[in-house]
Amino acid sequence: MKLIKSILILTFSLGLTMTSHSENIFPYEIKQYSLNNGLNLVVIPYNSPGVVAYYTIVRTGSRNEVEPGKTGFAHFFEHMMFRGTEKYSDVEYNRVLKLLGADSNAFTSLDLTAYHIVASADALETIIDIESDRFQNLKYSKEQFQTEAGAILGEYNKSAMNPFQILNEEMSKLAFNSHTYRHTTIGYLEDIKEMPNQYEYSLQFFDRYYRPEYCTVVIVGDVNFDKAKSLVDKYYGNWKRGSFIPNIPKEPEQKAERTLDAKAPHKTLPYLYVGYKVPEFNDLSKDIAALNVISRLLFAETSELYQKLVLDEKLVDFVSGSAPLNRDPSLFRIYGRIKKEGDIDKVKNSIYNAIDELKSNPVSPKKLNDVISNLKYSFIHGLDNPDDVASTVSYYVNLTNDPISLNRFYSTISNITPDDIQAAAKKYFGSESRNVVLLTSGGN
Amino acid sequence: MKKIISLSVIFLQIFMFDSMAQSMKFTSIKITDSPIISFRIQFRVGSVNEPDGKEGLNQLTADLISQGGYGLVTYKEMLEKLYPMAGRIGVIPNKEVTTFVAEIHKDNLEKFWNIFEQVITNPRMDENDFIRLKDLQLNYIKNTLRNENDENLGKAVLEEMLYENHPYGNIEAGKISSLNSINLDDAKNFYKKYYTQTNLTVGIAGNFDKKFIDKIKFDLVKLPKGKTNVVKLTQPNKIQDVEINLIEKKTISTALSFGFPVNLTRSSKEFLALMIANSYLGEHRTFNGVLMNKMRGDRGLNYGDYSYIENFIQEGGSTFPLPNIPRQQQFFSVWIRPVANANRHFSLRMAIREIELLIKNGIPEKDFEETKKFLINYSKLWVQTQSRRLGYQMDSDFYKTKYLIDEIAKKMPKISKKQVDDAVRKYLNTKNIKVAVVSENAQMFMKDLLENNVSPMTYQHSNISQHILDEDRDIQKYSFKINPDKIKIINVENVFE
Repeated sequence: MKLIKSILILTFSLGLTMTSHSENIFPYEIKQYSLNNGLNLVVIPYNSPGVVAYYTIVRTGSRNEVEPGKTGFAHFFEHMMFRGTEKYSDVEYNRVLKLLGADSNAFTSLDLTAYHIVASADALETIIDIESDRFQNLKYSKEQFQTEAGAILGEYNKSAMNPFQILNEEMSKLAFNSHTYRHTTIGYLEDIKEMPNQYEYSLQFFDRYYRPEYCTVVIVGDVNFDKAKSLVDKYYGNWKRGSFIPNIPKEPEQKAERTLDAKAPHKTLPYLYVGYKVPEFNDLSKDIAALNVISRLLFAETSELYQKLVLDEKLVDFVSGSAPLNRDPSLFRIYGRIKKEGDIDKVKNSIYNAIDELKSNPVSPKKLNDVISNLKYSFIHGLDNPDDVASTVSYYVNLTNDPISLNRFYSTISNITPDDIQAAAKKYFGSESRNVVLLTSGGN
Repeated sequence: MKKIISLSVIFLQIFMFDSMAQSMKFTSIKITDSPIISFRIQFRVGSVNEPDGKEGLNQLTADLISQGGYGLVTYKEMLEKLYPMAGRIGVIPNKEVTTFVAEIHKDNLEKFWNIFEQVITNPRMDENDFIRLKDLQLNYIKNTLRNENDENLGKAVLEEMLYENHPYGNIEAGKISSLNSINLDDAKNFYKKYYTQTNLTVGIAGNFDKKFIDKIKFDLVKLPKGKTNVVKLTQPNKIQDVEINLIEKKTISTALSFGFPVNLTRSSKEFLALMIANSYLGEHRTFNGVLMNKMRGDRGLNYGDYSYIENFIQEGGSTFPLPNIPRQQQFFSVWIRPVANANRHFSLRMAIREIELLIKNGIPEKDFEETKKFLINYSKLWVQTQSRRLGYQMDSDFYKTKYLIDEIAKKMPKISKKQVDDAVRKYLNTKNIKVAVVSENAQMFMKDLLENNVSPMTYQHSNISQHILDEDRDIQKYSFKINPDKIKIINVENVFE
């Protein structure tokens, strides 16, 4: 078993390759390779002596859960993938990681499931062996499956009091009628409770999506591209391509505002959640880039709206907004926690007025430059270890199946003009595409 | 070997003192090829310094420093200056130290430092910001803690229970009544008294030069000199049998936390031995621990089950411990993530019983060897960034020990199974513990506990292995002695009141 013995101090540095790729926001070289079976490999050499981050991205999230009553299965596999194979049982798989001293986990979102390991670079072949094995040969008993369903219910329960879980569930149902974004990633509670009876369906789900054409392996750190290529060929080469393509329903155009008053199971300050329908990610789309800039112009701590609502009038504890980066059209999201029920309308109108202001008057070049500068430095600050680099790249791999998309997107952002901002605001922030959920006290 | 040699050149650790800033301590790590400069500006002040009736004052003061502007510059103006360089000043207020954390790209170092040093030495402390931040702290207790996250609520209640009538006996956010009694002058006076040169440690990592260090010293010497501030702590009250606080609240699941103070910190000779035992019992968010494997893995009771031998806060979305929350006294605790209400009694029994089994049987030889290997490697991942490396170095300085990660690599291989088992028997117990429960129908749970009623496990399905069912039969009637005078039900609206 390999150990991380070659490392005295594991502090990584960013600087070595910064200047050679300065035309791009991403400061490191991205190397790519595709196997015949459709599996992609992305390798990013990075100055982290003795350490690699190893991500496997499955381009399957709750978006892929197309059958009624079967929500939450993409996330369920995040759990089941730790249940072992014939070669490496769950106990043995964990033992291998334990002896490596690896940091290992997984996460699921609307569009993807990601499995990640950070461990000794010396152990790369071991990691590729155990990871390729479980993606090709996962095997679990009905008992294991049913037991894990309990952990999923526990995961749902631990966040049951979280207002954002409630808001997201309600907003998804309100804003989407046909598309699978209608349910959240963890799934409906009734489907989770039914999971122990869905063993056969789980096998089908795995057979559909855990296929090479859905996956990309991202390796960042102390890694040689040629070596990684030959190991990936060796261990993933026989993985059989699948044929399933999900029929994800298109969401019909929204024609009028939708609103919902939801009740929390406990006492709460009012939470406001506003969602505007916006298009899917496209790294060359000025609209998507502009919406990302707008989220900062409207909701950063320097924005007039934040200063009014949080700092001056103190009507909210916080207010935030974010533009989505999703594979299908989704929501520009605005959240706020209001201090007094009586101020709900005032807060809502302040948000709408700030949006109208953006439609009516072009943003000053200085404000726009400040946002772009903030985006650039925030991005660089976030690349200080191989895990974070891999995570960032994986996000774009999922969106477009191409990591270079990251550079293209930031390039599009850096060329956004005040006119682009105004145009996007007018196009997407009409009341007819708006969805509003208000959460207030319902219990004691 | 090449990598080891080059690293030893890149990383240079310096501890500096000079006549101009004699009372100021420095921890610095030079990393020549990093474009980022990391700061951890730490003061030896925390909630232990708060006067009676002013609990929450340190957190409020620290927030007011970092989020209130400086000199004549309002917070709004400060944000506008910081925004284009993505500069942020965060703060970790804790029991005994308070640490301001920041990172900045080298392009912006001078501009950023000119703001940061003013924030530290000349905070504006305006009434308007004070009201806003106090509101936020009150709403954190009233709304976030009481209503939105039962796990954090349980952990916070446990911490209060463990340190009743002790300087650690309040959560950093304080209480509703104490916060309501704090005014702006309290914060200003607290700042003047404790945020001083004598209490200051400057942590910096990255590619800085000597000139910059001189500038830091020149700027921070503006702080008043102050007096040494190390609060002498009394020992926590002895626990008598099992003491339980049941927080009554409408919930669909039950959050459980329990523990007891331990007379052990990172400076104790048995710390690494107990670290091995704890990792085997319940390493945070891994499948290494027996609690996790048996409670979640075998039974699907919940999302996770972990144990700790010191105060633990997870850093953001990682699985790693937050640095810069060191303490003179520590506690052992178990975190059982929410379980179905029907399984609350079973889960509590099971977790306590696992500790008893560890005490009785010791750590199995194979697990002992494997856990050592795990920790020696895994601990290196705790310091993947220069900022975390800096934080860990400062924590080692607090405990007056060598750098923890090096100590693990050097000393852990030599630790024997006997040392681990001895440390377990010396520091862990199942007789005298405090338990915090957040659940509904607390009265019924209290009755079950006091009457030691059998508590069968309720499964979602019937497909259970016989060896698990056999063990369940022992667990469901496992008994521990509850102190009938120290079990009480508290309505959630009254906690931290």
